[in-house]
Amino acid sequence: MDTSNLASTLLHRGAEADLSLATLGPWRVVIKRRVKKKYRNPSLDEQISHDRTISEASRIHEAKTGGARVPSIVGIDMENNAIVMTHLEGIVARECLDDMDSNEARKLLRSIGEQIGLLHTAGIVHGDLTTSNVIVSPSGAPFIVDFGMSRRSVEAEDRGVDLHLLQRSIIASHRQNPSSMMNSMNRGYENTTGKKVASSTWRKAREIARRGRYFAIR
Amino acid sequence: MCLGIESTAHTFGASLVDSDDRIVTNVNSTYRPPVGAGIHPRKASEHLATVAHSIVKTALSTKDGSSIDPDVIAYAAGPGLGPCLRIGATVGRALSSFLKKPLVPVHHGVAHLDIAMSIAKARDPLAVLVSGGHTSILVHVGRRWRVYGETQDITLGNLLDMFAREAKLPSPGGLSVSRQAMKGENLIKLPYTVKGNDVAYSGLLTAAATLLRRQGNLADLCFSLQETAFAMLSEAVERSLVQTRRSEVLLAGGVAASSRLREMIGSVAEDHGASFHPVPVEYSGDCGAQIACSGRLAFNSGITISTSDSYVIPRWRMDEVDVPWIPRT
Repeated sequence: MDTSNLASTLLHRGAEADLSLATLGPWRVVIKRRVKKKYRNPSLDEQISHDRTISEASRIHEAKTGGARVPSIVGIDMENNAIVMTHLEGIVARECLDDMDSNEARKLLRSIGEQIGLLHTAGIVHGDLTTSNVIVSPSGAPFIVDFGMSRRSVEAEDRGVDLHLLQRSIIASHRQNPSSMMNSMNRGYENTTGKKVASSTWRKAREIARRGRYFAIR
Repeated sequence: MCLGIESTAHTFGASLVDSDDRIVTNVNSTYRPPVGAGIHPRKASEHLATVAHSIVKTALSTKDGSSIDPDVIAYAAGPGLGPCLRIGATVGRALSSFLKKPLVPVHHGVAHLDIAMSIAKARDPLAVLVSGGHTSILVHVGRRWRVYGETQDITLGNLLDMFAREAKLPSPGGLSVSRQAMKGENLIKLPYTVKGNDVAYSGLLTAAATLLRRQGNLADLCFSLQETAFAMLSEAVERSLVQTRRSEVLLAGGVAASSRLREMIGSVAEDHGASFHPVPVEYSGDCGAQIACSGRLAFNSGITISTSDSYVIPRWRMDEVDVPWIPRT
């Protein structure tokens, strides 16, 4: 489909794409258009944008099929490296987590963990899991968004990267106790993946954290 | 007046920074490995031990030849190569006990950021530290730098040095690669690995080195290596900047001397309305001034160490150090 003539209003400027809001038939849709990066060599840039547009749309669709709460794909525009998907009402988890009391926060984290577990069970790793990529609907249900870095994988290593990134984003951006938040997340995760997958993923996540520079076991 | 002593890897440096954060003296000597070889820790430490005396003496002399007594002695306690760290620590301890002045341990990576913030005037930035020892994206929260993204294997400085070594280009590798890259035109497809805010460079190194051994064009390979490696980091920086919403981007460390990297990170900052603060090229690499600068700030925050506790810490993460002097005023 061609999105270049669709009337839209800019919603958000992300790191790699612009999100804008439009109406398409009965739907309120979000258009995610990858923008050209001045810093990147043009041919490298086009290749990355093209590959990621296709991969992102495919992964979102697969996640949906696997039962996870994600947006629905309405169409893709290969000429403009754009994906059209349904608009989600709600607030970003990064914005609301710090305002919640610890019970609410733990409940949300558990629910986020369940969603991540569903993705991993469907053989998808997100690749950029942070609290900025979770939208909490008015009823409190978390939706995972931004599959720009996602891949198909059933490796514990890749699942571990997901949890490691989420943990680091919680440590760096939130004031709540990170280990208690991660415990709640982990309980939810285990609910949907089962004990075996959950424990292998966690082992990897800890190992990945130790790979960081100058990590010493003291 | 704070004396800073740097000796974490290939450079022995001594520098005086005064109470107004001005660099009074900065004297350094760097060990250069032969072409095709890396830094041998023992040989590097021998070089540092040989030059230490004259470097410190020069750093403590005024232009008219009289000598200055420092009020504080700061030494780089880590991270780095053990044999090299011990040279600087020994000099620091000796001076501190002889002159009866307080001793301050400094984290080499924190010091890279401190000198960059002092000179390039950043207050509370998203910090990008790129060197042979670090490739990290950091923000300051509470009392510490927090690692927002980093390399999962080798550093950017490692990547460039090791490729230069394979290609028999002279040290420093980053400079040699960038000179070759200017002659390159064709972008060769190389592995591009960004995992969230992290990067991984080892696959890129292997692929580039393999193509080199298969008689690939050196200039094109250097060009492609640099474009790919820097674009990966820039993407991770952009992602971190959007998430942390800092209004300043700091670029520090040895690889910050690269004009292409400065251009790319600068462009990321500009795209997101942040100001860009690159460290001046002469203070990007390891130097005594960074230790003096950081040591002064640490001392003002009440950080000192007794001689008997003044160990070196070869492995020491940025996020394990209390840095209460940020945001800077």
